[in-house]
Amino acid sequence: MVLTNTESLERKMRSWTTRLDAKKERVSSVRDIVDGVVIPTNRIVEALERLIKPGDRVVLEGNNQKQASFLSQSLVQVNPKKVHDLHMIMSSISRPEHLDIFEEGIARKIDFSYAGPQSLRIAQMIEDGKVELGDLHTYVELYGRLFIDLIPSVALVAADKADRHGNLYTGPNTEETPTLVEAAAFRDGIVIVQVNELVDELPRVDIPSSWIDFVVVADKPYELEPLFTRDPRHITDIQILQAMMVIRGIYEKHGVKSLNHGIGFNTAAIELLLPTYGESLGLKGKICTNWVLNPHPTLIPAIESGWVESVHCFGGELGMEQYVAARRDIFFTGKDGSLRSNRTLAQLAGQYAVDLFIGSTLQMDAYGNSSTVTKGRVAGYGGAPNMGHDPGGRRHSTEAWYNMMTSDDPLARGKKLVVQVAETFQEANKPVFVESLDAISVKDKANLAVAPVMIYGEDVTHVVTEEGIAYLYKTDSSSEKREMIASIAGVTPIGMEHNPKSTERLREKGLIALPEDLGIRRADAKRSLLAAKNIDELVQWSGGLYTPPAKFRSW
Amino acid sequence: MQSAFLFPGQGSQFEGMLHYLPKDPIIKELLDESCEVLNTTIENLHSKESLSTTKAVQQCLLIASVSTYKVFEKEGVVPNYVAGHSVGAFGAATAAGVLTFKDALRLVSLRGELMQSSYNDGYGMAVVLGMDEDRLTEIVKNFYTDEHPIYVSNRNSPTQITLSGSKKGLEHVLNYVKHHGAINASLLNVSTPSHCPLFNDIGDTLLYELNKLDLKRPNIPISSNRNSRLLRNVDDVKEDLAKSICYPVRWYDAVNLLYEKGARLLIEMPPGEVLTKLANQTFQDVRALSISKTGIDDCLYLLSN
Repeated sequence: MVLTNTESLERKMRSWTTRLDAKKERVSSVRDIVDGVVIPTNRIVEALERLIKPGDRVVLEGNNQKQASFLSQSLVQVNPKKVHDLHMIMSSISRPEHLDIFEEGIARKIDFSYAGPQSLRIAQMIEDGKVELGDLHTYVELYGRLFIDLIPSVALVAADKADRHGNLYTGPNTEETPTLVEAAAFRDGIVIVQVNELVDELPRVDIPSSWIDFVVVADKPYELEPLFTRDPRHITDIQILQAMMVIRGIYEKHGVKSLNHGIGFNTAAIELLLPTYGESLGLKGKICTNWVLNPHPTLIPAIESGWVESVHCFGGELGMEQYVAARRDIFFTGKDGSLRSNRTLAQLAGQYAVDLFIGSTLQMDAYGNSSTVTKGRVAGYGGAPNMGHDPGGRRHSTEAWYNMMTSDDPLARGKKLVVQVAETFQEANKPVFVESLDAISVKDKANLAVAPVMIYGEDVTHVVTEEGIAYLYKTDSSSEKREMIASIAGVTPIGMEHNPKSTERLREKGLIALPEDLGIRRADAKRSLLAAKNIDELVQWSGGLYTPPAKFRSW
Repeated sequence: MQSAFLFPGQGSQFEGMLHYLPKDPIIKELLDESCEVLNTTIENLHSKESLSTTKAVQQCLLIASVSTYKVFEKEGVVPNYVAGHSVGAFGAATAAGVLTFKDALRLVSLRGELMQSSYNDGYGMAVVLGMDEDRLTEIVKNFYTDEHPIYVSNRNSPTQITLSGSKKGLEHVLNYVKHHGAINASLLNVSTPSHCPLFNDIGDTLLYELNKLDLKRPNIPISSNRNSRLLRNVDDVKEDLAKSICYPVRWYDAVNLLYEKGARLLIEMPPGEVLTKLANQTFQDVRALSISKTGIDDCLYLLSN
C-alpha cells in the first residue's frame, strides 16, 4: 500500500496517547488537594468533581456483599452542574444513593447485574424516564463488557487497607475489586479506592499500587452484609425432605463431586444433612468434595466431619474470618492467613469447572423456564445464570457430567447438572408452576429487549419439589417435559394436568422419582436430622471460631 | 437510621380515641382549635354514634395524628419521610407543611361527607387475605357486572388486599375466594366503596377545592397513595390527595419505597397500630412502632438517638 502525502502526514500528526494525556490532565487537576496518592477524607467531593467528567462511564463498586459506601455517598454530593450524564456500571445496585445519583441529575444511564435491594425504585425510575437502562447482565457478562464496550473511565472501589503508595489489601472480601480496577487501570482510566485505614505495612498485597491512582480513607468502614448466613432454625421439614431427595436422587445417583449452592434454606438443609443423612448412606468422599461457594456457616459441620476437600469463594462472610483462617487446607488463603475470594474467577469456576449448580426459583413454566421476577420490580440476574447453564465450551469430563449423556452418537457429550428446587406454592397461595412467567409482563413494562428468565428450561436437568424429582435431561420432547413437570407440580394449574396413569409410566421409565422410589420415607424428614439446628450449634461445631453477627445471635 | 412517620386511615378509629392522645399542651391546643373550626365538642366527635359516620371518623383520624405530630415538631424531631394511608395522606401532607391544619380539617370533612352521601348501604368494601393481586384481579373481573360493580382496591401487603363496590358483588367474590385458596375473606364494616372509580366525582370535587388553596411545597418528602412515588412538589401532592379516593392505595409499595430509600424506623401516629403491624409482617429488618402502643416518650427517645 502506498500512502499519499496527506495520509502519511496525518498519521505522523495523530496522537496515540489521547487517553493517557486526558488522564494526566485530570490527575494534575487535583494536585493541590492530594498528598501523594491520598485524597483527604473531607475533600473527596471536590476531588470527585475534578476527576469525573460529564458523560463518563463510571464503575461504582456495589458488589453482592461489599459496598464502596463512602464513595457512593460522596458521589451523590457532587454538583450536578459540574458532573452529570454519567453512565454507571454496577454489578449490584444495593444502596439508596446508587439511585439517588439519578434523581439528582448526576447520572443518566445504567448497566447492571443485580438490583434486588432497589428493585421497586429502579422499576419506577425506568418507567418515569429517570434512568436510562442499558441492559441487565449476569456477572461474568458484565465483567466481560468492562473490557469491550463498557470500558470505564473511572473506577470507584473499596478495600480494607492501603499503604502510602496505594498498594491494597482487600481482605477476605476481595470479590470483584481486582476485575473492576483492571478494566480502568490498564486503559488509562482513573482508579479511586476507599479504604478503612492507611497502614505502614499491609498483611498482603492484593492489588499493586501501580494499578491505583488515588486512595481515600473512608469516614467509616465500607458496608458489608452477611448475605450467606442462614439460621438453621428456619429450615422446614419440607426443605429437609427435598434435601434428602437431592442427596439420594441426584448427588449420589450421578456422583456429584464438585458443585455450587445458592443461598436458599433448601440448600442450607443439604449442607446440614451431609454429616448425618449423607454419612448414613456411606457417601462421604463420594459426593460434595469440591465447592465453589461463599463461606456458608451451614457448611461448617460438613467441613468438620471431613466431607469437604476444597472451597473457592466469591466473597467472604461476616463472622467466618477466623474459622476460614484456621481451616487453611480447605479454603483459598493468602500468606497472611486470611481468605482470598474472587467473584470473577469463582463465577468462571462455577460455570466451567463444577458438576452441578442448584438453586431455588419462584416461578417455573411447564417447560422448565424459571424466573424470580415479581411484577413491578426489576431485580436483574446476579450470578445464577452463569452457573445455571450448560457451558458449550466445556470439554473435560467428570463422572457426573458424563452421566448426563443420553445418546450413543459418536459425538455425544455430557452436560452440566442444573437443578431447580421449588415448593409447589409460594406465599399468598401463589403457584410456582404457571402457564406463563411474570417475566414476560415485566419485559413489556420495563421495556426490556428480552424477558428476564433466570434459568432457561433447555439448561435445567432436574426439577425437585416436595412431590418428587423430574429428570428433565432424559428427554428431548417438550410434551414429555411438560408431563414430567406436571407430575411433580402438586395442585398448581400445571400440576392439575397430570393423571395417575402417566405418573406411573414416567416412574417406570425413571423419568421422575417420588421419595419412596428413592427409599425415602416422608415421615423421616425431620429437623432432628440437621447436623446443627441453630446458629449456636454452628458456633459449637466451629469450636468457637465462627463469630456470628449480632443479629443472628439468639443466646 | 432514616425514619418515616405513618398516618393511619379508616379502620383505626375507636370510641373515645381523642382521650388517649399523649398529654401535651400543644395537643390540647389543637383539639380546642378543632372544636372551634367544626363548632362541636370532643365528646361529639369521638362518640360511638358519631364514629358511625365517615365524616367524623376522618375528622378524628386527622386530629389525632396531626396533633401528635405537632409534639414531635415542637421537640425538633422531623422524620425523613411521611406517608398516610387513604385519609391519612391528609395528615401526612399537613405534617409536611403542604396544608394548614384548618384547611386539612375542612377538606377531610368534605371528603367524609361526600363519601357517606354518595352511595347507599348496598355498597362497601371487603378484605381478602392470602391471595395474590393477579389472581384476585382475574376473579373480580369475572364477577363484575354493571349492576353490581366491584373492583380490587387497596394493596396493603402482598397478601392483604381490599375490594370495593356493590355488596352483592363483593359477597359473590368472597364466597368464591374462600373456596379457592384465600386464607380469609370478609366484608369490612364500612358503607363506602372507597378507592375505586365509583368515587371519581369526589376526586374531581376535592381537586377543585384543593386548587383554591395556597399550598406549600412539602418540606418532607411524601410517599404517595396512588403510584407509590416520593412527592416533592405541590401539584403532585394535590393530585394524590384528591384522586387517591378513586384509585387503589398502593400502600405496600409506598412503604417498600421508603424501605428502599433507607427508612428502617417507622413510627405510626395515633390512633392504633394497624400500619405498624402491617410493616412488621411485611418487612423483616424494620423497626415499626406505634405511638398508641409504645408511647410518645420512647419514640421521641429513639428518634433523637
